[in-house]
Amino acid sequence: MKKNIFAKKIGFYIILVIAWQAISMSDVWPNNIFPSPYEVAEDLVYTAADGSLFYGIGTSILRLAVGLAIAITGGVVLGIFMARVETVNQTIGSLVLGLQSIPSIAWVPLAILWFGLTDSGIIFVTAIGAIFAVTINTYTGVKNIDPHYIEAARNMGAKGSQLITNVLIPAAFPYMISGFKQGWAFAWRGVIGAELLFSFLGLGFLLNIGRQLNDVSQVIAIMLVIMMIGIAVDGFIFKKLEDKVMSRWGLR
Amino acid sequence: MKMAKLETKGIVKYFKHESHQLKALGGVDLKVEDGDFVCLVGPSGCGKSTFLRIVAGLETPDEGDILFDGKPLTTTGPERIMVFQEGALFPWLKVKDNVEFGLKMAGIPKDERAQISKRYLDMMQLTKFANSFTYQLSTGMRQRVAIARALVMDPDVLLMDEPFAALDAQTRDLLLIEMQLIWEKTKKTILFVTHNVAEAAVLGTKVAVFSNRPSKIKKLLPNDFKRPRVAEDENLLGFQQEILAELRPEVKKAK
Repeated sequence: MKKNIFAKKIGFYIILVIAWQAISMSDVWPNNIFPSPYEVAEDLVYTAADGSLFYGIGTSILRLAVGLAIAITGGVVLGIFMARVETVNQTIGSLVLGLQSIPSIAWVPLAILWFGLTDSGIIFVTAIGAIFAVTINTYTGVKNIDPHYIEAARNMGAKGSQLITNVLIPAAFPYMISGFKQGWAFAWRGVIGAELLFSFLGLGFLLNIGRQLNDVSQVIAIMLVIMMIGIAVDGFIFKKLEDKVMSRWGLR
Repeated sequence: MKMAKLETKGIVKYFKHESHQLKALGGVDLKVEDGDFVCLVGPSGCGKSTFLRIVAGLETPDEGDILFDGKPLTTTGPERIMVFQEGALFPWLKVKDNVEFGLKMAGIPKDERAQISKRYLDMMQLTKFANSFTYQLSTGMRQRVAIARALVMDPDVLLMDEPFAALDAQTRDLLLIEMQLIWEKTKKTILFVTHNVAEAAVLGTKVAVFSNRPSKIKKLLPNDFKRPRVAEDENLLGFQQEILAELRPEVKKAK
């Protein structure tokens, strides 16, 4: 079964590349507008060989990691407060819903004014793009905890921060993972978007350079890298974590 | 006369029912001596589980007092440990860590926790499953873990809310025997809510029959048959009839 699906996928991508090659060879568009897969691959090898690709990936991922760590910490704390303190939910909760509707890229002008063209500015955009998704999922998770868990824990003497770390967070974890997953997706878009506009280092920066040099193959090559990192993080980190948690929590 | 281990005086509790208030508990008076095994039976919806939750300190009564060793109680505490119907085990912890949960909260060091939990894992025949997660266990096994988790706290009073309701008949019969052994071994005071008259007759030293809403304790029936008892014991059938005779009119009223 699994083999079959894998074969289908491989087949699809082979056909896709062949079709791409065919279109680029048919001279409908000139090669500098619509490069062949070979040219894109070549570009990828060049940027990899001179190190700029890996430097770009490293820079973007570092910014993402710091921003996401801030978003997860802040979002979890805020989400728990909203779920456990009704006043916080009625006040800050409504603001969170509003702020979540702002695309992260719309924070860029503010980030530039506050932080200048710095790493902190990009991290700010990344974190703020992700934090509200984490907050809302944590809130939902804590709200949906089986009340018997909390009662049993209190009955056995759990209080205050003990209750939070030993019961609320693990019990809400299946929801929180969805929040982290959404948060990561927002953060990844935020990093690349901010790098495009801030224009120094990172994959977004390499995209921009490609545009400035009229180098379509580089633009497509970097886009492929962005996509593959996305697939890798979703598939290897979040999917595995989610599967493990869902089965252990008895939800599957 | 010696002081009761646990005494409730005039416990009243209202439920919110749509727009009006429904008087569920209409003044429950109960005296439980140290080492008693009291089974609480009553028509469904009479509030016997709510009463147990009030004794556990998980709900507050609208009127009335709970005295523990003569002192009034208001909050929940580890001297009265509850075993929930579905166990309420933590799926993110291994069996062993579930059992040690209360000890961890009390700040007992890891080695000591392991020693204590080992004793109760052995008692409940869970040693093999110490490192399993709860989703890997059958319902019966989970209830064993829930009981072990409660016993580890060494509570004065064990509060059990229909703990065997979700079990198949064979598993239930086994646990009914074991529950009697545990009670004899540990000398715990136990309050045990059930809707199953046979279960109450097998387990209890006393059976408290709740009336229909607003409920009170209609009758406290003593049960001195020798142990271990089994549900099919003919000598117990008469006692079951006695319970049913009190219970039936209340169930009819409830309809």
